[in-house]
Amino acid sequence: MKKVMRLQEAVKQIEDGMTVAIGGNVLHRSPSALIREIVRQQKRHLKVIKTAGGHDVDLLCAGGCVESVDAGFVSYETEYGLAPFYRKAVEEGKVKANEHACYTVMCALRAAKSGIPFMPVKGMMAGDLLKQNDYFQVINDPFTNDAITVVRAINPDVAMIHVHECDEKGNAVIYGPKYDDELLSLSAKKVIITTEKIVVGSKFKFNPESVTIPYFLVSAVVVIPKGAAPCSCSKMYDIDRSSIKEFLGIQNKEMLEKYLQKYEQRDRQSKNGVRYGEY
Amino acid sequence: MNINYSNYKKFHPADIMVCSIARMIEDHEKVFHGVSSHLPMVAMKLAKAMHAPEAVLLNIPGGVNSLSSRLSKYSSAGDELWNNSEAVFPLEKIFDLSMRGELDIAFLSGVQFDKYGNVNASVIGEYHKPKVRLPGGAGSAVLIPTVKKAIIWRSKHDIKTFVEHVDFVTTRGNIFKIVTPLCIFGYRVSRLFLESVSPLSSMEEIQNHTGFSLDYNDFNIIKLPTPEEMRILNRIDPHGVRYSEFEK
Repeated sequence: MKKVMRLQEAVKQIEDGMTVAIGGNVLHRSPSALIREIVRQQKRHLKVIKTAGGHDVDLLCAGGCVESVDAGFVSYETEYGLAPFYRKAVEEGKVKANEHACYTVMCALRAAKSGIPFMPVKGMMAGDLLKQNDYFQVINDPFTNDAITVVRAINPDVAMIHVHECDEKGNAVIYGPKYDDELLSLSAKKVIITTEKIVVGSKFKFNPESVTIPYFLVSAVVVIPKGAAPCSCSKMYDIDRSSIKEFLGIQNKEMLEKYLQKYEQRDRQSKNGVRYGEY
Repeated sequence: MNINYSNYKKFHPADIMVCSIARMIEDHEKVFHGVSSHLPMVAMKLAKAMHAPEAVLLNIPGGVNSLSSRLSKYSSAGDELWNNSEAVFPLEKIFDLSMRGELDIAFLSGVQFDKYGNVNASVIGEYHKPKVRLPGGAGSAVLIPTVKKAIIWRSKHDIKTFVEHVDFVTTRGNIFKIVTPLCIFGYRVSRLFLESVSPLSSMEEIQNHTGFSLDYNDFNIIKLPTPEEMRILNRIDPHGVRYSEFEK
């Protein structure tokens, strides 16, 4: 089956109610174009997974696509502050915030990638997150009988990851910080890759270790230059400050549609055929 | 060189905080900062350039001892902390390091703290029906209990931040210090106590900005940044990203 496809087709693989994990970290290398298309296609009740989210989680909340967010942190960091749409959606009871420590998201994904139902994790007994959230339980270590917290496995239906290079088969390369993207690719049932450019697969034969995610884990590849914007993409571009400011100023549905429309042509530019070197 | 203490007002609280934090880092320690952590990011670089050349600097993207001087104002998790580094040791491995008891220092923050050492980074109001949904504790809930020294900093010191009782306990205990623009708290026998006072502040001001009665026996005055510290500070952070937490 051909994996390289248009953005619209790739996002059609995401169904309402699915558990979707987002690659990147805060404002860095989010699969932003893919997120925008999810909002355009009005997906609903998504269960969002991310260690530390920012614009991506906020945009999905602005679009009304989200049922719950499992994350350790959701914010734009220092300069741009709290994520207003996420915050409002949680405060109005429209979105359930499942707070984790970033590490407990990782442990939940580690359980999923190992095919086991939960993972022990230290430290959580000091606080009250485990009292309020049923995905944490305290059990007895069967060997020592000591109390230990466990976190339930998170097995995303789809992991969405933006990369620098990918070949037609789906071998994907991330340059610079990889954040938790390898773990996401191993714990999800399906991986959708958006890539800055398509390269010929033979490129990797000389250094197969450069491939971050091997092709057989990948179900869809979409070529989208600047597909992480307005977030940054290491060694290629920094954040788009004016776009982030515009997004944070959105007051109503019309403004959100206008914001998405600005990106539409650019996001959807990839055609069915692959033309090497053009991107 | 002598410092003229009558000129103390020329110092920005961020400079004093960064130097105080840097001085807490000892040589050879493995030190981590996460997202939204501009003051610790700069302080770690300062310590390594001053008295702790063998400190191991760790961050979210995973660059070990990154030397880049192009720091970002909007993020402390970007690739500028990967470029010019010695090796790669990403977040997942840093957490594991703390879990097995080998991380020396982690810098964490929160929105409310009380005198019992409870930290709230989750919500204002009820957890499931919050008045304000906060970003969340990021690594706090697992790092504060497991790291050797959890250092908390907060660029705000007011009665909304230092409260009688936190609205929610994201995590608690095992606090090494809390650094604010006004003072430094220590922590012993499950209580915060006033350890040092900023030369820019006073006991009165600190008490007026703290929602619980201060506990102290004797305290000292925080030493101002030395000219050498300021010189290096301006070299490693020429564009003043350390002030960004105060610009909100």
